[in-house]
Amino acid sequence: MEHIPAPAIDFISLAPALILSVFGMLVLLMDLFAGKNKNLLVFASLVGLVLAGVSAFAPKALPVVSFGGSYVVDHLSVFFTLIFVFSSALTILLSIEYNPRNGIRAGEYYALILFCTVGMILLASATDLIMIFLGIEVVSICLYVLAGIKRGDVKSNEAALKYFLLGAFATGFLVYGMTLLYGATGTTKLAGIAEVIHSGQTNSDTLLLLGTVLLIIGFGFKVASVPFHMWAPDVYEGAPSPVTAFMAVGPKAAALVAFYRVFATAIPEIGTTWDTLLMVVAVATMVIGNFGAIVQTNIKRLLAYSSISHVGYLLIAIIARNSLGGSAIAYYMMAYAFMIFGTFGIVILLGEKNSENLEIKNYAGLGVKQPAIALCMTVFMLSLGGMPPFAGFIAKFYIFGAAIKEGYVVLVVIAVLNSVVSLYYYLKIVVLMYMKDSERELELSMGPITLAVVAIAVFGTIEMGLFPDPILQLTQ
Amino acid sequence: MIDGIFQFIDENTYLLLGIIKAVVIASALLGVVPLLVWLERRLMGRFQVRLGPNRVGPYGLGQPISDSIKLLFKESIIQNSADKFLFHLAPVVVVFTAIVSFAVIPMTGPFELFGEKMGLWASNINSGILFVFAISGMGIYGMVLAGLSSNNKYSLMGGLRSSAQMISYELTLGLAALCVIVHTGSLNLVDMVERQNSWPNALNLLNPPLMIAFVLFFIAGIAETNRAPFDLPEAEQELVAGFHTEYTGMKFAMFFMGEYINMVTMSALITLMFLGGWNTYILPDWAIIGFVAFAFKVSFLLCVFIWLRSTFPRIRYDRLMTFGWKFLLPIAIVNLFLEAAIRVI
Amino acid sequence: MLEQYIGATVMFIMAIGIACGMVFMTSVLGPKRHFAEKMEPFECGEKQIVSPHQRFSVKFYLVAVLFVLFDIEAVFFFPWAILFKKLGMFGFVEMLFFIIILGVGLCYVWIKGGLDWE
Repeated sequence: MEHIPAPAIDFISLAPALILSVFGMLVLLMDLFAGKNKNLLVFASLVGLVLAGVSAFAPKALPVVSFGGSYVVDHLSVFFTLIFVFSSALTILLSIEYNPRNGIRAGEYYALILFCTVGMILLASATDLIMIFLGIEVVSICLYVLAGIKRGDVKSNEAALKYFLLGAFATGFLVYGMTLLYGATGTTKLAGIAEVIHSGQTNSDTLLLLGTVLLIIGFGFKVASVPFHMWAPDVYEGAPSPVTAFMAVGPKAAALVAFYRVFATAIPEIGTTWDTLLMVVAVATMVIGNFGAIVQTNIKRLLAYSSISHVGYLLIAIIARNSLGGSAIAYYMMAYAFMIFGTFGIVILLGEKNSENLEIKNYAGLGVKQPAIALCMTVFMLSLGGMPPFAGFIAKFYIFGAAIKEGYVVLVVIAVLNSVVSLYYYLKIVVLMYMKDSERELELSMGPITLAVVAIAVFGTIEMGLFPDPILQLTQ
Repeated sequence: MIDGIFQFIDENTYLLLGIIKAVVIASALLGVVPLLVWLERRLMGRFQVRLGPNRVGPYGLGQPISDSIKLLFKESIIQNSADKFLFHLAPVVVVFTAIVSFAVIPMTGPFELFGEKMGLWASNINSGILFVFAISGMGIYGMVLAGLSSNNKYSLMGGLRSSAQMISYELTLGLAALCVIVHTGSLNLVDMVERQNSWPNALNLLNPPLMIAFVLFFIAGIAETNRAPFDLPEAEQELVAGFHTEYTGMKFAMFFMGEYINMVTMSALITLMFLGGWNTYILPDWAIIGFVAFAFKVSFLLCVFIWLRSTFPRIRYDRLMTFGWKFLLPIAIVNLFLEAAIRVI
Repeated sequence: MLEQYIGATVMFIMAIGIACGMVFMTSVLGPKRHFAEKMEPFECGEKQIVSPHQRFSVKFYLVAVLFVLFDIEAVFFFPWAILFKKLGMFGFVEMLFFIIILGVGLCYVWIKGGLDWE
């Protein structure tokens, strides 16, 4: 009897995903016997994340190909794996003090974050449309649950339901786009698609274009770009703060890297047909994100709109479709992770037992009462606005550099103007903190772990701004 | 003219054979139902130390026929608040799925007749057992629709219970069948029997993991056909008559027809998968002997079904679900693993 | 290839015919003597006490969701079972992991109380 050969799998390069899967299930089972005390779960999850992060460096020679070319571990995916592991670890650290205070007792919380990280790692290494779909589904399904993990809270429920309905809808677009791409080229491998397009043997150019447009819609939903951003403010506002920070960094980075891989490695040759569309999307995303943020009074909604505008900048790197763009995205997301986790750490510090104090006016007078925290917040705000000595500036600089290299000067000018606009609402908070007196007495819950996260974030933001080279080298 | 007909037959043998076989099998299936009703009532009479039907015809054999004629002429009442279309659709679905799922059941091995290689089955398709599961799984719709459309709380409860019960036991049924599929390496029911053609592989039943699979399949099969002791959907004491409370006349009888045909299908499946199908192992393997052996095995299983009904009291609903999920399902999973482990070593 | 399905198709058509025919015949042949009480839903001779359109136990939904999960997993077993001998040890080990994950899921549901009916 002839045997079916086992596919070639390099388990060492798969280690981060495998370790996290095992730890995810372990945490899930531990939760069943843990009772009320979740410390053990937190510890196990962190151990899993650290192990996964370490094992990401295990492959000796990159890139390593598994599963018949649908899973590739290269420098980009290793770096993104680090971003994911790092952001998941920070999320868990932020939740240690946040969750008990806000009545989140579900032990599945930690398992879901681990599973979500597995999905993101798959997404960063996927070079096959099917694998990308698989990754996106794993990530999305975990996030739907995480967004609604505050079961008693109406806003959290609303966030979960909205996210689920729109996300499921977007997945439909994505899969349909993939189907059309497959129909046009006869393969789901990204390299194969590029080859078919290069040799001009596509079955139908119409299918190819239609598929590309549907993919833009599908990915657009996942990364929250205009006009598919409507869910983002509501979901970001309703989800628990650590989950919001998580969603703004990890899954977004994962979707972006898949977006980049599809558009920069599979269909760059028909780039002239889709870059205009993507440019319109990018400009709209920046403009609507920034001007939407100006009118917000809730800090989480403001950060949601700011996150939308950041997606606008990141799309420029995809439009540039060169390898510089890929590493620019990686650098940007790392810097963004520091800034966002720092900001959300402060948001969580400001929360009290019965009120999360999410209004921007609650920040009035912080500069007098807690000068250190106000200073940290100022650093994050300036960095998010792209001011020089901080990480946000260097990150934007690389993105714009990649775009200018390909001649998209107008796009870069618009982006720079937008970042000036964005400074307005970031500085508004800074002004509020230093120039105004607080209306009422605020009780800051100075959780030591949350403070530590903020400290790490400040360090990272400044370090990446002053010495960008070591991290930049990792991305290439 | 006659030559033309012969030529037509020659050219379309497959088509004609298929049609003839299908018609014969479907009619035979409909003929078996009254017989089975009679058998059940007679046997139940014996079990309960009474006579059972004995007035109409010899041994009361005419009873089910007269019953069905009576039911045909009874008023079919559709109460005002019922959903008319779905109310009519429900019994149709039940009977339809019951008949169609029997289409792939082979009753003899392949043999030659008038120079044509054939066997006593309507269709011999490669995914035979999946076909049976797929079609008979649709039978749930009939019960749920009956429960929903009747606008009666007893019906609704019965429909809900039946759907929950049937989907719960379908898992065990599928996992038990998977053991046989692993053993055979095919989904085709004829292949499954031919795998048991000779010693030492004869009778899947004698193979240790498959023995457990047989017990699981049998229990799940009883639950799938809604037979006692798992006849919760129509528990008289609590739900009047369950999902068919509002049905009268022939439409009422159609639910029973579906149930009895499903019983035959389930017995036939068990025969094919575990009891060696048409194999006798000692007698010469003529098609006619094979068919008799098959019919004998199926009848025996049907008697067991009836026997179980008169022996066991109905099980409580929470116990039923607990039994399915916490007892049968884990055993089925472990058993499948055991079968695979034995196969691979 | 499609010849195999002739019998099943004929059975299909016949089954529809038989089932619809029976419903039609009983509607035509039976007497029709309607009066108000007869056309009411059955409630042991009383007027209907409560509407049947009310909420029912969430347990039924839970069972349905669990069924979907486990049935989808069972579906993956079918192709594996057919190719089992050709896949050899590789197939066995892979499926072992799959069964373990299935078992973890079942344990989780079990201990969380998803299978309790009391």
